[in-house]
Amino acid sequence: MRLKKQKNSQASGEPMVWMTAMGLSMGVLMILGLLALIFYKGLEVFWPKHVAEIHLKSEDGNGERLLGEIILQRDRSSHKSSNENDEGSPLRETQIFMGNKEVLGQAFRFVEQDKIKKTSYPESVIKLERREYGNAMGFPQAIYQADQELIPLKKTELFEKTLHQLVKTYNARWEEIRHIEKDQIGKINYEMEELELEKKQLEEQNTAAKNAQAKNRLQELESSQKTLQEKYQKLADQAKKLREAQQGAQLEILLANGQSHKIEVSQILEYYYPNQLSTWGRVGMFFHKIWLFLSQEPREANTEGGVFPAFFGTLVMTLLMTIVVVPFGVMAAIYLKEYAKQGPLVRTVRIAVNNLAGVPSIVFGVFGMGFFVYMVGGTIDQLFFSNKLPTPTFGTGGLLWASLTLALMTVPVVIVATEEALGAVSQNIREGALGCGASKWQMIQKIILPASAPGILTGAILAMARGAGEVAPLMLVGVVKLAPTLPINSTFPYIHLDQKFMHLGFHIYDLGFQSPDSEAAKPIVFATTLLLILLVLVLNLGAIILRERLRKKYASGKF
Amino acid sequence: MPNQDSSRFETSKRILWIDRMMNFFISSGGVSIILAVLGIFVFIFSQIFPLFTQAEIKKGPTLQVRPGNYQLMGMDEWGELPFLVNDQGELTFVDVQERSIHTQKLNDGEQNNVQAVDYHVQTQTLVLALAGEAFRLVDIKYEPKFSGKKRKISSSVFLSEKKPLFLKEFASEETQTSRQLSQIKLGMNDDFILLATVLVPQEAAEKKEVWATLLAKEENLLGESNIEWKGAWNLTDQISGNVQNIRVNESGDILLVTTEEGFIHYFKREEDTLKLRQSFQPFAELSSPEIQSIDFILGGVSIYLVNESGENVLYSLYLHEDPKTGIEERLFGQTKTFPLLKSPPSFFDHSLRNKAFLIGNQDYSSLRYATTEKVRWESSLPFQPILGSLSRKYHKMAFLDKEQRLYLYDLKDPHPEGGWKAFFGKIWYEGASKPDYTWQSTGGSDSFESKLSLVPLIFGTLKGTFYALIFSVPVALLAALYTSQFLQPQLKKIVKPTMEIMASLPSVILGFLAALWLAPLIEEKIPSLILIFFAIPLCAWLAGYFLSRVPIRYRKWIPRGQEWLTLIPLLLVVIWFCWELGPILEKNFFIVTDAYPREKLWEMGPILKNYVFEGERVADFRLWWPQVTGTPFEQRNSLVVGFIMGFAVIPIIFTIAEDSLAAVPQSLRSASLALGASRWQTAFYVMLPAATAGIFSAIMIGIGRAVGETMIVLMATGNTPIMEWNIFSGMRTLSANLAVELPEAPLHSTLYRTLYLGAFVLFIMTFLLNSIAEIMRHRIRKKFKAL
Repeated sequence: MRLKKQKNSQASGEPMVWMTAMGLSMGVLMILGLLALIFYKGLEVFWPKHVAEIHLKSEDGNGERLLGEIILQRDRSSHKSSNENDEGSPLRETQIFMGNKEVLGQAFRFVEQDKIKKTSYPESVIKLERREYGNAMGFPQAIYQADQELIPLKKTELFEKTLHQLVKTYNARWEEIRHIEKDQIGKINYEMEELELEKKQLEEQNTAAKNAQAKNRLQELESSQKTLQEKYQKLADQAKKLREAQQGAQLEILLANGQSHKIEVSQILEYYYPNQLSTWGRVGMFFHKIWLFLSQEPREANTEGGVFPAFFGTLVMTLLMTIVVVPFGVMAAIYLKEYAKQGPLVRTVRIAVNNLAGVPSIVFGVFGMGFFVYMVGGTIDQLFFSNKLPTPTFGTGGLLWASLTLALMTVPVVIVATEEALGAVSQNIREGALGCGASKWQMIQKIILPASAPGILTGAILAMARGAGEVAPLMLVGVVKLAPTLPINSTFPYIHLDQKFMHLGFHIYDLGFQSPDSEAAKPIVFATTLLLILLVLVLNLGAIILRERLRKKYASGKF
Repeated sequence: MPNQDSSRFETSKRILWIDRMMNFFISSGGVSIILAVLGIFVFIFSQIFPLFTQAEIKKGPTLQVRPGNYQLMGMDEWGELPFLVNDQGELTFVDVQERSIHTQKLNDGEQNNVQAVDYHVQTQTLVLALAGEAFRLVDIKYEPKFSGKKRKISSSVFLSEKKPLFLKEFASEETQTSRQLSQIKLGMNDDFILLATVLVPQEAAEKKEVWATLLAKEENLLGESNIEWKGAWNLTDQISGNVQNIRVNESGDILLVTTEEGFIHYFKREEDTLKLRQSFQPFAELSSPEIQSIDFILGGVSIYLVNESGENVLYSLYLHEDPKTGIEERLFGQTKTFPLLKSPPSFFDHSLRNKAFLIGNQDYSSLRYATTEKVRWESSLPFQPILGSLSRKYHKMAFLDKEQRLYLYDLKDPHPEGGWKAFFGKIWYEGASKPDYTWQSTGGSDSFESKLSLVPLIFGTLKGTFYALIFSVPVALLAALYTSQFLQPQLKKIVKPTMEIMASLPSVILGFLAALWLAPLIEEKIPSLILIFFAIPLCAWLAGYFLSRVPIRYRKWIPRGQEWLTLIPLLLVVIWFCWELGPILEKNFFIVTDAYPREKLWEMGPILKNYVFEGERVADFRLWWPQVTGTPFEQRNSLVVGFIMGFAVIPIIFTIAEDSLAAVPQSLRSASLALGASRWQTAFYVMLPAATAGIFSAIMIGIGRAVGETMIVLMATGNTPIMEWNIFSGMRTLSANLAVELPEAPLHSTLYRTLYLGAFVLFIMTFLLNSIAEIMRHRIRKKFKAL
């Protein structure tokens, strides 16, 4: 009987092993599936799609025509198909991106599969990326220019050349206007504000006894204000002239419904013929679009354009955080490992620090908001920026507070990693160093820190990865959906620690949930998701590879 | 002789100095970093501490006013210019800053005395009852005036009509009666004025009469208001017993009459008529049911009642269902009981900021808070107050004593809404039909009662955690067991970092995918998911079962340690198959017939608006679920949250559990295998029990992560603070609540501090979980050291 039982048990264990294997398969499937989804959805955004012309069925045979990119096809089991022969089968829908929002009212539309008569891909379709109202699609007709003859499409070469030239010059001029309005006038505004503040301060101080010096200074201020005003006027005139020159040229396109539509050339950022592109042309376009996404500023309430400010903001915030967290984290770890007497107290502190790594990130955000923003920031404002009150300078969320909050959040990561790295350095080496007459600091500086540098670096990278992907605390301490200027720019003091900034993670949250047109925002959200995940993955992979190397090094270097 | 100099063997001073400096620097730096990190706890605690403190009062100036029989006291917004009205119709303003007193007569030149007064606090209107059943409305206007940085409050008084108006009809000025007006009460909104009066007949044998007068306010184009008489009713016939007191609420739509027998008659104004709605006896079971004091608190839907023995309760309007007819009606019912008073109060005033009220008589004064039934402050003052008043901002109190001395007090009670009961107890809020845990922090009007119970949020947190764990714990533990016991070691080097990468996925990405990709995707495919849920383990088990039955030469096709690779394509096929099979299952089992009225289905979820019912049978899980369980189905539900949170929780549990399983000494395993146990027996009966503590700590840390997760729940649930375990509805967690409400909360307001309390609860929860985990891990380390 005993023998029999044993024979059975060998067999009965095996299904359970497979059950455990299922756990691992599920986990791996989940992570690979998720990454595949994000890569697919994120990259798909940049691939130039064909533009389809869809003829819809109708009774009189003169059905509606639509022009657009086919986004997806889906079944809706809960809705009945309108096809009577096929009752009960789910409704099959096609989603089309039609663009031309200002004319059609909506950029997206669902069409029942059964109602489509014919789908074709006409060669002549042009796709325009515009500054406003998103993309436009249609059949180009003619170019209108002020004081010039119109150029019809028939004169193909001339048409092509003119359009190219026009878009180029108009874009160049637009850049110029932007430079004047944003950079130069912005700088003047900043200087004006400073002058105004100083003036206000002087006036308040000397209400009773206006001494000569203050009077002189006031006059000086007024005169420089005047010169600035003149400068401003000059620039404004220049910008106005340029703006006027921006009007004039128009491109006429024919929409699918037969309507003709004129589009200002100044609105056109880019144009291409999606159905004429070769595969290589498509690949080129794909990379070009990726580049634009990375380098441009967002447009249209963030639903169009690029994510450069958000990307830049994420980088600056993460770097600033790293600069703060690494020295302090390493210092605390060195203290715990090398200086503090190992006993129950240090053990408790270690447990507390470990625990802190598990405290929810939002709690750090809450702390950062109460302590950094309101308490420290409010005090700084009262001491140093009281002339600007009640407008807060540091008493509101900003780059510095966000970095400090995240630094506090990631300090346990650095401490734990550094302690581990310090612990990996053999005790013999320490004793050897001390035995050679090195002082304690010399031993740490010359022997231990270099040996544990890769481990510390791993900790720093892990901290960066965690900080870069965290959004919840930032929502409380200074991230915004749209920052007017970058946190590092050409105006004094170049790094604006008090400024609010944009962040990739918050960009995703904001676009996905607060955007008025969430359908139109989806492509950008997926692309941003991909970018953020790449950033975090690269950092994490770097940390993992470093850690493996470190392990190998110490595995071989054992005494 | 340089060789003799022993100092050359000494370490240079510079190095010693640097060493000392660095020692100091690192020690102090390290200690301060650790202190700073622990300071988070202290800071958050300091933010929530004021929520649990009592009200503080500080004595201010005392002023002597002229002798007289003062009927009423009122205060301005700043508490700097209180006023008193005496029975001669004299209005006295007391300037607290300049310690001066200004008196003016209101019934200019007329001889008749003021028989009764009332003050409408919201509009700062006085009503004076004059002889001959006439009355007069007086507006008091306060205005701050600034000279430099100094502020001075000035007052002005406006008589709204040139002549007194008459209660019964405007026209008949000659109607002179000998009856006395003993009480007058005023209530008004933008359109109507309701006046209630008690008429005392000259002969004692006759009954007191209660009259209600309704006036309409009309504003002409020039902004002048004109008062039009709408009607007057004698309510005496509808009242059984002897009239004692009358009360009108602020907005003038409720009139209450108490009788000496202890009954309250509740009249409701409906447009321009008054109807008796309810008669009730609050202290029915007592020997002396007489109501000594009755007053409305802010909002005008709750009354505060005191009887002779000092029992004090609150009655509120809420929906009562008639047991016979099933009709629901808003009637008064007892909702709160306060700590016993020594004796019935003689004065009452309520705050205009919150539900606090001041009561007192010659022996004591007490400040109580209606929502929490708490005494904010109570004391017997060193004088005998006959009148008491609260400033509109709830920051000052004034008392008048028998000797006509006015005492001013500073009141510091920033968070009267706070307290254990408010945050963690069941509270019967105004308008609710039963005590409940509610979170609703902001409302439309000033009289809004903040509902700050953290219980629904804690519940939401636990719910989210629960659904995340029932999915992720099995997956993570199975995966950890497989990875540590059966997986080929060279594959482990790839598998483990892959799972760890999952831990580093930013949660905002997971939340976004959950809400905008997964939730709409699986909304229509719930039956498919149910199938997948059962099919996957079944498939894995069957695969193992059949493979263990086939001859060894076939079994060798799948090397040991690579079962999971074989399973991946198999699982994909199963998932696809179930996905397609789901609609068929739905068609056959999840059928709803149009049993519910369409309106009711509508209420259950916005999703159902797409549907048109024509008495047909519809196969749709989203309709089937609410019909069968009575709980709603939402698109962004706990199922989605649980699954997506798995991405955050699985890798954490997996990594720690795997580590602790791998840390079990290999000698145990070898011994077990050598004794003839199968690899499963070894893993399950030997290795797993040895690592229990480590696995437990892994789960604890997993819970900690799920509890604090913010972005996923913020994005993937509807963020409604409800309390039900339904898997197809959302929740609001503590963390999401912080993200939603803290940016809007005014600094140091009660809401702000309550949110900090939420953060504190979160902090404590995760800290405890992590500490337990840490202790467990420590124990397991010790155990294996011995082996």
